[in-house]
Amino acid sequence: MQWWCSAQGQPWDWTWQPYVGVWLFVALIAAGYVALRRRYPPTEPDNGDGRRGAAYFVTGLLLLWAALDWPLGALGASYLASAHVTQFLLAGIIAPGLMLLGIPRGAFGVIERRPTLHAFLADLTHPVPAFLIFNVGMTVTHWPGVVDAAMATQAGAFTLDMAWVLCGVIFWWPLLAPIPARPGFHPLLKIGYLAFNGILIRPPFAMMLFSEYPIYATYELAPPFPGTSPLHDQQLAGAIMKVVTAWIMGVAAFMIFREWRRADSLLEEGSAARERPV
Amino acid sequence: MVLKRALMPVALLVWLAACEPPGSSDEPGSSPLRGSIIETGGERPRFTLSDTDGQPYSFEDETEGLLSFIFFGYTNCPDVCPIHMATLASVIGRLDPADRGRVRVVFISTDPLRDTPDVLRRWLDTFDPGFVGLRGTVDEVNAVAESLLLPPAAVPVNAGESYIVGHAASVLAVTPDGGTRVKYGFGTRHEDWAADLPLLLQWKAQVP
Repeated sequence: MQWWCSAQGQPWDWTWQPYVGVWLFVALIAAGYVALRRRYPPTEPDNGDGRRGAAYFVTGLLLLWAALDWPLGALGASYLASAHVTQFLLAGIIAPGLMLLGIPRGAFGVIERRPTLHAFLADLTHPVPAFLIFNVGMTVTHWPGVVDAAMATQAGAFTLDMAWVLCGVIFWWPLLAPIPARPGFHPLLKIGYLAFNGILIRPPFAMMLFSEYPIYATYELAPPFPGTSPLHDQQLAGAIMKVVTAWIMGVAAFMIFREWRRADSLLEEGSAARERPV
Repeated sequence: MVLKRALMPVALLVWLAACEPPGSSDEPGSSPLRGSIIETGGERPRFTLSDTDGQPYSFEDETEGLLSFIFFGYTNCPDVCPIHMATLASVIGRLDPADRGRVRVVFISTDPLRDTPDVLRRWLDTFDPGFVGLRGTVDEVNAVAESLLLPPAAVPVNAGESYIVGHAASVLAVTPDGGTRVKYGFGTRHEDWAADLPLLLQWKAQVP
C-alpha cells in the first residue's frame, strides 16, 4: 500500500486505492481550520468571514483532496500528464486561493504581533517576489527532469505537491491576505498581476504544447492509458494548463475589479452625503 | 535577507533541474548511437517463421537492405510491448516516406497460444499496418531469440487464459548492411529513437 501517489509500473485499472498520507494531510488541515475558527470566531455573522469564509475554505480543501487522492492523484502521478496538470491547477492555484479566502481575518492578527514573521512575510509576499516564486516554482516543478525524478518516489511526489501548495499560497497572499497591508498595491496593479500571470507561457508548458516528442519519461514509459498516446496527452496537458490558468486569472481579476468599483461607489456615496446641505 | 533564505529551496530545485542527465540510453562508449552495439561485422540473422498470413517469412531475404527492428513479445503484454511498438510507430511515422520504406519492424510472438494470426495482425495494425508479425512454436521462437543472443521467453504451463509471459524487453536493430546489431532496452524514449534512426539507416559495419 502507498501512503502518497507516485509512479507505478502497473497497468492502470479503476480499482480504488487508499492513500493514507493524503487522508492524514487533509485531516490535519481540517483540524487546524476548526481550531482557528474556534479561536477567531467571525466578529459579525455576515462580514464575509463567517459562513462564506467557511464555504470557501471547505471547497478549497475538498478540491485539494480531490487533486491528491485516487483517482486523480494516481493518474497524475503515473499515467497522464493531463491529469498531472489538472492536479496542479487544483492543488497549486484554485485550492490555495479559496483556502486563503476562508481563513478568519482575526487570525492574521497573529502575524502583526510577531515582528520577525511580519517582516518575513512582507518580503516574501511582496507582489514581485511572489510573482517570481510562483512562476519559478511552477516552471521548476514541471521541468521534465524534476517531474521524472520526483514522481518515481512517494517522498518526491509529496515534496512536489507541497511545493505546489506553498507556491499557490505565496501567489495569492498579496491579493487576498489583509496582512502585511499593502496600500500601494492598487486594484489596477492587482489586475495587472493576474493578467500577466494569465497570459504568460512558462517554458515547460510551451514544451508540452509544441514539443515533437513526449517530454516526461514518467508518462511516455508508463503502461498505456486507453484512448490516448503520450504525445496527445501531453499536448492536452499544455492546453488545459494554458486555458484554465488564463480563465482562473480572468475570474479573479473580474472579482477584484468588481470589488474596487463597489468600494469606489460607496466612497462616492459617502462623500455626497457629507457634502449635502442640512 | 529573510527573503534570500526563503528562496534557497527554489534555487536548489533549479540547480537540480539543470543537473538532469541527457537522454536515457545505456552507456554509449565511443558510439554515436544511444542504443548499445552488441555485434558488428557479423551477418544478417537467418531464420524463418510464419507471418500473419500463414506464409513462411525468411528474415534474411525479406529484410535485405532494410533497417530492421526485431522484438519478441505478446499481444496481451500490459506494458513493455505496447510501449515499444507505439514508440517505434510514432518515430518511424515521422520519417520521410523514402526512409520509412527502408525500415521494417518485425514482431515475434512469444505467446503462440493466444496470439493467433488474426489476433496478432489486429494488434499490430493498431500501431502500424506495415509492422510484420511472426509466429512459431515456443521452441522455434526461443531458438531464434537465443541465436540473437536474447533471453528465451518463459511461457507458463497450464496457467489458464490469463497469464504473463516473460520475454526479452529489448528491441534489436539490424542495420541495412546486416552487419551490426544494436540493442535498445526498455526505457528507450522517442527522442533516442529519433536521434538514432537516421544514423542506423546509413550505418556501415566497421569490418576490421
